[in-house]
Amino acid sequence: MSGLLLFQLRRVGRNRQYLFFTVLLPALFTVFFTKIFGNLAADPAEYQANARPYMVSMMAYGALGAALGATIRLAFDRASGWLRQLRVTPVPTGTAFTVDVLVGALLVLPSLVVVALVGRFVNGIELRPATWAALIAVLWAGSVAFVALGLAIGLALDSQAAGAAIGILGTVLAALGGLWVSVEWFPSGMAALARVMPSYWYAELGRDVAAGGTPSGGAVLAVAGFTALFSVAAVAVARRRPLHAVAG
Amino acid sequence: MPPTSVLDIEELTVRYGETLAVDRLDLRIAAGETVALLGANGAGKSSVLNAALGLFRPTAGRVRLLGRGPLEAIRAGGVGAMLQHGGLPSETRVGEVLELVRRQYDTPWPVGDLSVTAGIDGLLTRKVDALSGGQRQRVLLALALAGAPPLLVLDEPTSAMDVAARQAFWTTMRALAGRGHTVVFATHHLDEADAVADRVVVVAGGRIVADGSATAVKAAVAGRTIRFTAPGERGELAGLPGVTSVSAAGELVELATSDAEATLRALLARHDRLPDLEVRGATLEQAFLRLTAGGTR
Repeated sequence: MSGLLLFQLRRVGRNRQYLFFTVLLPALFTVFFTKIFGNLAADPAEYQANARPYMVSMMAYGALGAALGATIRLAFDRASGWLRQLRVTPVPTGTAFTVDVLVGALLVLPSLVVVALVGRFVNGIELRPATWAALIAVLWAGSVAFVALGLAIGLALDSQAAGAAIGILGTVLAALGGLWVSVEWFPSGMAALARVMPSYWYAELGRDVAAGGTPSGGAVLAVAGFTALFSVAAVAVARRRPLHAVAG
Repeated sequence: MPPTSVLDIEELTVRYGETLAVDRLDLRIAAGETVALLGANGAGKSSVLNAALGLFRPTAGRVRLLGRGPLEAIRAGGVGAMLQHGGLPSETRVGEVLELVRRQYDTPWPVGDLSVTAGIDGLLTRKVDALSGGQRQRVLLALALAGAPPLLVLDEPTSAMDVAARQAFWTTMRALAGRGHTVVFATHHLDEADAVADRVVVVAGGRIVADGSATAVKAAVAGRTIRFTAPGERGELAGLPGVTSVSAAGELVELATSDAEATLRALLARHDRLPDLEVRGATLEQAFLRLTAGGTR
C-alpha cells in the first residue's frame, strides 16, 4: 500500500496546475488582500483582527481545492483505464480507494502549512504556537468533508466533466462560502446561502480557533454532517459504478 | 495437487439489459494450453474474458481461475491480463508503473528480461503520456507479465499494433507458451489464432460454435458441406478423401469436407445415383469464420 501511496502522491506532485491552484494561489491571495485591507486598519490590533480571518479563509480555500483536486482525479484514472488495469493486479480495490482518500488528506497539508507560513512571516500574523497547531489540525480534520465530496464527484462524473468540476466547484465553494469576500460584506440573501455551504462552516471552524477559542458546536456539527452526507454519496456511487467499471 | 484446469467456466450467462451477450457457455482450459477465442465484434469474447477475470458479476454461471474465485486468483498473483479498456496512469514514467506493478507480486519477472520480452527496454524512462498506441500496448503487456503469472489473459491485445509489432508480439506469446504459461486470448483475426494457438474456440452469439485445433478450424473454413440422401450403410463415407465429419438424419447424409472435389469424385465413383445432391459453401459458423478471416486482409 505504501508503494501505491507514494506513487499517487508523486503523480499529483508533478501536476503544476494543481500546485499552482492549491498552494501558490491561496498564498498569493493571502499576501495581496491582507496588504490591501491591512492598510485600512487603524491600529495593529485591528490589523490582526482583519488579517487572521482572511488567512484562515485562504487556508480553507487552498485546503478544499487540494482535497477536491486530488480526489476528483479518480475520474481521470477511471477514464484512462488505469483503475481497471490495477484491478487485474494483486492490488485490492479497497487499497486503491483507501490510497486515494489518504492522498486527498495528505495533500491538504501543504496548502494549510504554506498559507500559515505566509500569514506568519509575510503578513506578521501573531498567534500562540498552540493556536497555530490547533488551527492547522482543525482545518486538516475538517477537510475530510471535501475529500469525501471529491471522491463522490470523481466516481460519478466522466473525465471531462470532472476536470471542469474541479475548477468550478472550488470557485463556487470559495465564492459563495465567503472565503474570498467575507460573508459580512454579503447582502442578506447571499449570506443566508453561505450558511448552507460546507465551505462556510469549514472556515468557521478555523476562525473560531484563530480567535483563540474552540470550534463552535454548530460548525462542528455542520462539517460532520456534510462529511457524512458526502461519504454516503461516495459509497453509493461506488456501489453503482465500481472503480474498475469502464467510463461512460 | 495443482489444479489441472487453469480456467473453468460453467454455464456462463451474461446479459446486458435485453441483450444476451453470453449464453450458457462452458469452457475448460488446461494448464499449458494456448487458446484463441475467435469471434466477430460483439460475439461475446470480451464478456467471457471479463467475467473470467471477475470484472463483473455474471448473470449466471460459475468461474474458477486456477481452482479459485477470480478475485482470489488475481490477488494471489496467478493471473496477468491485458484488457481492452485497460490503461496507464498519467504523470508517470513507464519504469515507475512497471515497478509499482512488479512489487505487487511475490516473485516478479526480473525487470531487464521483462522489458526485453515485452519490447519496452528503450521505453522505461519515457513519459507514459508520450507513448504511441503500439508502445502503450507493449507496456500493458509488460504489466500483464510483471508477475510472471501462470495464466495470461489477453483481450484483443494487438488491436493498436501495426503489422510488424503484431508479428513481434505473437513471437513473444509463442515463447511464453513455450515456457509453460497458459495463454488465453481473444481475437477476430483467424490468422492470429492460427499462428499462435494450439486450440481455437470460435464464439458467435455468446456460444461456442467450434472448438478444436487451429488446423481443424481452418479446414472448416475452407470446407464444404455435401448432402444427399442414401439409405443403408454409410460406414465407408468417413474414409473418403477430404471428409472431416459425417452426420446423418434419417436418409439424409451430410459430409463435411475440406476438399469437395475429391470427395465428390470418390462418391460418384462408388454410387450410381446421388439423389438430392447438394454442395454448400458454408454453414453459418463457417460463413462467419470466412467473414472474420476476410477482415484481416
